[in-house]
Amino acid sequence: MSLPLIVLGALLIASALGVVLAQNPIHSALCLVVNLVGVACVFAALDAHFLAMVQIIVYAGAIMVLVIFVLMLLTIKEEERRLAGLFQLIGAGCMGAFFVVVVSREALQQFPVEQRTGESVVGSVEAVGRLLYTNYLLPFEAAGILIMAALVGAAMLAKTSYPRSGDATSSGSAIEGEGK
Amino acid sequence: MNAVIGIFIKGFIIQQITLGLASFCTWVERKGSALIQDRVGANRAGTNFFVGDLLKTDVLVLQPLSFLARNIVLRPAFAVFRFLGSIGVINTLLNDAFKALFKEDFVPEGTSVFMHALGPFMAVFPVFLAFAVIPIAPDVTLFDTTIRFQVAEISTGVLFLLAMGSIAVYGVVLAGWTGNNKFSLLGALRASAQMISYELAMGIVFATIVLHFGTFDLYQIIEMQSGSILNWGVFFMFPTGFLCFLILFVVGMAETKRGPFDLPESESELVAGYFTEYSGMKFLLFWLGEFAEIALFSIVLSVFFFGGWNIPFLELPEGAWWAALIGHGVFMGKVLAFSVLQITIRWTLPRFRYDQLMSLGWKMLLPLSIVNLIVAAAWKLVS
Repeated sequence: MSLPLIVLGALLIASALGVVLAQNPIHSALCLVVNLVGVACVFAALDAHFLAMVQIIVYAGAIMVLVIFVLMLLTIKEEERRLAGLFQLIGAGCMGAFFVVVVSREALQQFPVEQRTGESVVGSVEAVGRLLYTNYLLPFEAAGILIMAALVGAAMLAKTSYPRSGDATSSGSAIEGEGK
Repeated sequence: MNAVIGIFIKGFIIQQITLGLASFCTWVERKGSALIQDRVGANRAGTNFFVGDLLKTDVLVLQPLSFLARNIVLRPAFAVFRFLGSIGVINTLLNDAFKALFKEDFVPEGTSVFMHALGPFMAVFPVFLAFAVIPIAPDVTLFDTTIRFQVAEISTGVLFLLAMGSIAVYGVVLAGWTGNNKFSLLGALRASAQMISYELAMGIVFATIVLHFGTFDLYQIIEMQSGSILNWGVFFMFPTGFLCFLILFVVGMAETKRGPFDLPESESELVAGYFTEYSGMKFLLFWLGEFAEIALFSIVLSVFFFGGWNIPFLELPEGAWWAALIGHGVFMGKVLAFSVLQITIRWTLPRFRYDQLMSLGWKMLLPLSIVNLIVAAAWKLVS
């Protein structure tokens, strides 16, 4: 374990705790952004540069921007603290403990990680592209169709909610800055 | 350890180049806009420096020293200072920066101070970070070691540029939200909607470029454009190159929120848009980020389409330090030319209407870039 990785791990844990514990939703969303970028850094440290970049572009750059966008438009009050019920506490504790046991068992089994030698090819552009277009072609195409359907649906929803006025004001796009 | 020190030195050099390009753009913006609009522009500060009685002495022994200091040091220095002042450099780069440093740092009521400061930081940080993957000069071989003038030698430089472009939205969003007023929020909404919309076309144009060059590595992309002028990206990507360039140019203008696309900060409607509530150095940081973005986009255009540091029909020897210096000069010349072109367009064209902006992005540029990508793929398959 090198020093940068330790610092990165601490940052990841701190930001993940921030997502859960922050009282202001915007703060927890920003903590999630930090967490996602940190995961991208872990990918980059493992020489999986393509995965790192895609992680930032898709999660931190697109999805979280929209989440924060919506959060800022709502008038948000600080969240009130309330105690969870007994069953909720027990259920959450069991789930958490189970998760910790499973993950740490897996991690400890492979703990003395061998020093990787040479170029890693797992996350490179070529490796990911080859896998997507050979072994996983069908799921890849299915995901494409799913996204296309979601896109058309979003466009339809945006269109019907804006009654067209006489002049060409509404562009009918999914993202409308100031609906007239 | 040596590698780490090398990266720090390279990072320092590239950061200085970034700041220099941003300052140049600031000056062109101030003085060039005055030229375009037939105004005089900044020409006052720094012009009243004269030697006069400075350093004159009655002591006989010191007289030669005084003479030398007055005529060799002070007189030329003041002449340069007066010249720089008369063309507005002192005013834009020194005086305004000092003024901003000493201004009150105003934070609006009911907002978090930390978040308010995070806005300008996030507006500048991704842009400066994006310069890390830009190779600024050809490799130099000194004492049997090859030096590459690129901070992060990663194989996915093109994607890194896209990633930093998408991170840059946070600065605008945070600034608009922490402004705690309607003008800021409206400006931030406009800016983020605009940046997200135009990012799509940019991504698809980048895909077309990668399809043609077959690599994500910026250094290799520049290397492939050496030799004849027909190897330059505009001609190299034959059926689609010029359209790619046009789309990326328009998208670049929109991503930097300038030119005819400056609706997020349109002063006639929104005061100053998302940075209405910022003053002093934080206000200036937004502008620094914007000018660095102009320089970054000029670099991207000259790397992808105009051969980076390559001079057509002129092969420079590989690894020589003077060849790298010439290459760097040529590269920066192209970058400065594109920066000046972008600023000229900003001061020439009137602002779009918001629906025009959105339909240009979604109904013109995006379909055009998709068709462009399909044509490029088909051409690649056939040829």
